[in-house]
Amino acid sequence: NKSSQLSSLPLQILLYVNGVYYIFYFLATLAMIIYKSQVFSYPDDFLAPDLAVLFLMAILEVPRLYLGFKGNLTEAEAPLGLSLGLTVGSVVLCVYLLLWQTYVLWADVLLNAVLLSAYGLESGLKVTAIAAFVS
Amino acid sequence: PVETPDGAQARARSLPAPVTDVAKLCVCDLLVAQCDTNCCCDPDCGAEDFSLFTACSVPVVTGDSQLCSQKAAVYSLDVEANPPERIFKLIDQVNPSIFCIHATNYKQALYLKSPEIPTPENFDRLLDKFGGSTFSAEPDSWNLDTDAQNPPDTNETYRYEYGAPVHTEDAFLRLPSPVVSSWCSDANPAGFLVNQATKCIRSVSVEKCDSIQALSMLFYINSSILASAFQVNITVQSIVVQSQNGMRTLLNSSDVLRLPMVLDGLCINAVLGVNYHITHTDTGEIIEAAAAFVLGAISKETLSIEQSFEISFTQENTQPVPLSGNPGYVVGLPVRAGFRPQGYPFPAAFSSSNKHSQLTILQSTSTQDCLAAQGARAPVLFGYNMISGCKLRITAAMKCQPLAQTLLDVLKGQSFPEYVASFGNSQAQDVLDWVPITQLHISEQMISNPLQSSCQIPVSLGIEVKWTKYGSLVNPQARIVNVTATITTSTLKQLPSGRERIIPVTSSVVFTDISSPAEPGYKAWPTINIKLPFDFFYPFV
Repeated sequence: NKSSQLSSLPLQILLYVNGVYYIFYFLATLAMIIYKSQVFSYPDDFLAPDLAVLFLMAILEVPRLYLGFKGNLTEAEAPLGLSLGLTVGSVVLCVYLLLWQTYVLWADVLLNAVLLSAYGLESGLKVTAIAAFVS
Repeated sequence: PVETPDGAQARARSLPAPVTDVAKLCVCDLLVAQCDTNCCCDPDCGAEDFSLFTACSVPVVTGDSQLCSQKAAVYSLDVEANPPERIFKLIDQVNPSIFCIHATNYKQALYLKSPEIPTPENFDRLLDKFGGSTFSAEPDSWNLDTDAQNPPDTNETYRYEYGAPVHTEDAFLRLPSPVVSSWCSDANPAGFLVNQATKCIRSVSVEKCDSIQALSMLFYINSSILASAFQVNITVQSIVVQSQNGMRTLLNSSDVLRLPMVLDGLCINAVLGVNYHITHTDTGEIIEAAAAFVLGAISKETLSIEQSFEISFTQENTQPVPLSGNPGYVVGLPVRAGFRPQGYPFPAAFSSSNKHSQLTILQSTSTQDCLAAQGARAPVLFGYNMISGCKLRITAAMKCQPLAQTLLDVLKGQSFPEYVASFGNSQAQDVLDWVPITQLHISEQMISNPLQSSCQIPVSLGIEVKWTKYGSLVNPQARIVNVTATITTSTLKQLPSGRERIIPVTSSVVFTDISSPAEPGYKAWPTINIKLPFDFFYPFV
């Protein structure tokens, strides 16, 4: 019976696609940072924060997706709320990579914009799901 | 208006801001307040000047092309209009690549770094970094890298190749040499089999006599050379002490290490020269190393001394004969020659180390008198065709036979060699590497009347050296194949008494290249090696 299932299917699909896309995003951004460090003048003081942000985002992504999956499937609002909180952190880091990186290439803009829109859509769906679980 | 010192100081602390507006940038504007020819972006040029231009030397001024979108100033001449006028357009140039720089938060990314202005605070630091004659972009990391690479793996067997730096325990065997200026740089490694001799200047003072490392013998023999499986210590071969007036005396005992010390206001035992002799096997392993020192004294007034360093490599069990090429002859090096040893054809060594057995040619002198110039000879250098001569004044009193013998001595020299080395590095033991000199006699005038006993005197010696290119096409080596010495004799007519004649005597050396055209050599075709198993035809066989 469809009405008894509160888990959101679009959210599940989006989380799955987000996971796959994130792997591609991480490798592409890392490769571009390496490319930038070879082609442009990229001193170590500027390279370190950019790499730190990228790796921090990768570390945040794993629990964020796991909690999202778990919360949606078990119809529990606590993990989903926690995942939403981690999404806020990921959004901040994504905005950093979009605007305040040392060199922002056009490919960077595209990748980060797609990721940001995915986060935004996910957050909306999570809020809807939490509302459905709570009520 | 009087400037306050603060204002001037404040202004001096910062350089003028760099110009980044493409509309205002002009690289061809070289003359101040004057119009540069064909420079369309020059602000000093007016419309009349533009009408005289033929083309624009700088058509586009643009920033870094890696940016996604940037302004570009385009200058062109409209030659259709009368008079020609300059067209200036400010356009947006778009880089279509996906990896174009959209934005950058690093201000110095696209511009050159402004240099630091020296202030009383950072002056010492800047002087340390940039005060020398050379400085690198990243001095600290560079030094660390070279130190990290240096400690070699002691388990490796050290077989050196030509030019490879000679490794020692901590670094390389150093041969101080002048780098940019005449000052000694201690970072020059000695290359294996590269015989070098360098001279450089070192700044010294008597006060720092024992603190300057490069003046002490220990600095040069401290480290041991890494050879295969063991380390070769550098022994002291000899010590020569040079006195203040330049006289050198060889010390009897070279075992005692003489370190620099101050005595009577002089710094004695300071190293003025080092001569390294390294002995190696034919497979490239170093077996012995010796250093010969020249020590001297430094007085209070001396601010700098000249040190000379030399290194030479000798193969074990061979006499150090200077090679003329390895293996082929090098143009400009003397042709090596020698004599057949006693007891040939039994294998024995050709003697070529004796300087008198070099292939030499008569050297022209300023007096041009053959009889006076006996003894002046020039070595025959490979590849250099030479011709020389002298004039012989013949009087009636001269006898034929002694004259002929004298002329032969003048032409051929005291010891004309019999064999010439075919390769520049032919060893004396390899008898097959030596080419015999063929001697020919040509008589200039045919004796028509055999009864007329005429005197034949040699008037010219022509040495023809035929050489060929040997080896691979990309690196051909010169090899001497044939040497022919032709003596041309001419009849000496009896002169009436009181008269004298002057005849020219010439000698020449000609090098002829008789190499056959190169044949391409290909690797052998791969062969198909098929063998059937022994029981292939079971059960029929």
